[in-house]
Amino acid sequence: MTKRFSTSRLLSFLTYGVTTSMGLILLIYPFLFPAITQKSTLGQARLTEMPLLLTLLLALCLVVLLYEVQGQAVDTKLIALLGILVAINSALRFMEVAIPGPAGFSPIFFLIILTGYVFGGRFGFLLGVLTIFVSAIVTGGVGPWLPSQMFAAGWVGMSAPLCRPLVNKLDGEGKISEVIILAVFGALWGLGYGVVMNLWTWPFIAGPADQYWQAGISWVETLQRYGAYYLITSLAWDFIRAAGNFLLILLLGSPTLIALRRFKHRFTFTYRSSYSQGSKLDQKGDTT
Amino acid sequence: MIHTWAWIGWLISALVALSITRNPLYLFLILLCIALVGWTQERRLSSESSQTQNLLPFSPFKFVLVIITLSALFNAVISHFGETVLFSLPEWLPFLGGPITLEALAFGAINGLVLGGIFAAFTVLNLALPVRSLVRLIPRAYYPVAVITSIAITFIPNATRQFQHIREAQAIRGHRVRGLRGWLPLIMPLLVGGLERALGLAEAMTARGFASSEGGNQTSQTRLGMVLGLLMLFGGWLLRLIEGGQLLGIGLMILGITLIAAMLWSIGRSVPRTNYNQEIWRFRDFLVLIGSMVVISAFLLPIPWIDQSTLHYNPYPILNLPGFDPLIGAATMGLLIPIFIIKPK
Repeated sequence: MTKRFSTSRLLSFLTYGVTTSMGLILLIYPFLFPAITQKSTLGQARLTEMPLLLTLLLALCLVVLLYEVQGQAVDTKLIALLGILVAINSALRFMEVAIPGPAGFSPIFFLIILTGYVFGGRFGFLLGVLTIFVSAIVTGGVGPWLPSQMFAAGWVGMSAPLCRPLVNKLDGEGKISEVIILAVFGALWGLGYGVVMNLWTWPFIAGPADQYWQAGISWVETLQRYGAYYLITSLAWDFIRAAGNFLLILLLGSPTLIALRRFKHRFTFTYRSSYSQGSKLDQKGDTT
Repeated sequence: MIHTWAWIGWLISALVALSITRNPLYLFLILLCIALVGWTQERRLSSESSQTQNLLPFSPFKFVLVIITLSALFNAVISHFGETVLFSLPEWLPFLGGPITLEALAFGAINGLVLGGIFAAFTVLNLALPVRSLVRLIPRAYYPVAVITSIAITFIPNATRQFQHIREAQAIRGHRVRGLRGWLPLIMPLLVGGLERALGLAEAMTARGFASSEGGNQTSQTRLGMVLGLLMLFGGWLLRLIEGGQLLGIGLMILGITLIAAMLWSIGRSVPRTNYNQEIWRFRDFLVLIGSMVVISAFLLPIPWIDQSTLHYNPYPILNLPGFDPLIGAATMGLLIPIFIIKPK
C-alpha cells in the first residue's frame, strides 16, 4: 500500500514537474536558446510555424497535466462544486465580454485565486482552466490562444496556496493581513498573466526575424527587446488588470473567504452506502 | 449539417495553409475563402434565427481588418528596416524614433493577415459548431472534465438569470452599484446561492448513482506513458531547432503524439459514452475532407509541378511583387467546399 502510494506520489510529482517546466520553457524559449536558434536552418519558416507548434505543445502539456489533476482532485462533490463555480465565473467573464471594463480588467481571477487558496492548488488549477475553456466555448472565443490562456489561468489557481506559508507566518488567517497578501498576489498575477500571454504572441507578431534571433543575440538583449515591447504595448493594459485584481480581492476577499471556508467545511463529508438484510439501501452522511 | 470532424479537418487545412505561406496573395486568397464560408454560415444562422451562436459584441470580420491595420502600423513604428522611407519620426522618441518604411508596413500587414486568418478560421468554427458538438470533442479519458463542463454550460444561463434577479432585488432595496464595493451585495448572494446549489447537486448526483471514484481510471502505466510521450515531443521539438536534427526531431515528435494519443484511447475505452443525437458521416463530409486534403497537399507536400518557392515572401530590404502559382491558388479553393453544402433554410 505504502509502495503504491509512493509510486503514485512520485508519478504525480513527475507529471507536475515535467508539464509545468515544459510549459514555462515553451513560453520563454527565446530567452533560453539563443545559441540553438541562431544555428537553426528554419529561418523565416520558423516564424510562421512556431506559433502553431507552440500551441500544439502547450495544448499537449495541458492535456497531460489535466489528466493528472482530474484523477486526484475530483469526486462527486467536487465535480458539482467545480461545475457551479465554473458557471458563475464564466458568467462573470461573459459579462466582461458583453460589457467590457477598463482595458485589461477581468473579474474572473478574483474567484480563481480565492478558491485555489481555500480548496487547494489542484482545485484552483481546474477552476482556472475550465473557466477559460467553458467561457471560450460559450462566447465563441475558441482559438489558438486558448491553451496559453488556460495554462496561465490554471497556474494562477494552482499557485494560490503559495500564499499560505506567509499567512501562517504572520498568523493572519481570518485577518486583514491575509486579504492583503492575497490582494498583492492577485496584483502580481494581473501582470504575470499579461506577460505569459505576450510571450506566446511576441515572437509571432513582432517585427522581422532578425530582430529577435539574429546571430549573436544574447539573452540579455532578447530580454531588453521584450521589455521594450512589453512597456510599449502591454504595461498600461496589464496594470489595470493588476489593480482590478488587487481592489476586488481587497474589497470582496474577506466575506468571500468566510463563505468559501464555511462551504469547505460543509463539503467535508462522505457518503457511505449500507445494506442490511431485508432493509432498503440507504445512505448516511457523516461529517469527518 | 456538416460533420464535426469534417469541420475540424477544414480548420486544420486553413491553419496549415496560413502557417506555411508568407505570400500576401495566397494569404489574401485564404482569408477571402474563410470569409466567404463564414458569411454563408452567418446567413444560415440568421435564417434559422439562432440566438446563441454569435455572442460577440462586434463583427469578427471587421475585427480582422482592425488586426491587419494595427499590425501594419505597429510594425512600421517599431521596426525601421527597409529602403523605401515614407517619413521619419524624431529620433528622440524612445523605441519609436526612426524612418517609417513601406517594407515594415507590408511586413506588419502580412503578420496581420496571418493572425486575422487564424482568428477568422476559428470564428467560422465557432459559428458552425453548436456548443454540444464542442463538448463532445472532449476525449472520453476526460470524463470528469466533460461532466464539469456540461454542468457549467447548463448552469451559466441560470447563473446569469440569478445575477439579474439579485440586481433587481437589491435595486428595489435602493442599492446602486457605485465603484467596486457596490458589487459586494451582488456577488456574495450569487456565490453563496451557487455553493448551496452545488451541495444539492452533489447529493442528487450521488442519490442517482453517480459514484465518486478516487483516482478514476488512472493507472501508473497510463500516467507514465503520458509523461514519456510529452518528453519525446519536447525532445523532438528541441532537436528540430538544431541544425541537422530536423528529421529525427519530427520522428520523435510524431512518436510522442502517438504515445499520448494511444494512452488517451486506451483510457477512453473503459469509459462508456452514449449520444442522444448521433452524428452521421455523409458523402458531403467526405467532400469537405477531400477539399481540405487538397489544400494541405498543395501547401505541404513536395509536388513536382507545384512551385512552392512562391509560398515564401519577404518584403525586406525593398518591396517587390510576390510570385503566384495558379495551381496553389486553385488548390486553395478547396476551402470553399462548405459553401456548396451549407444552405440557408
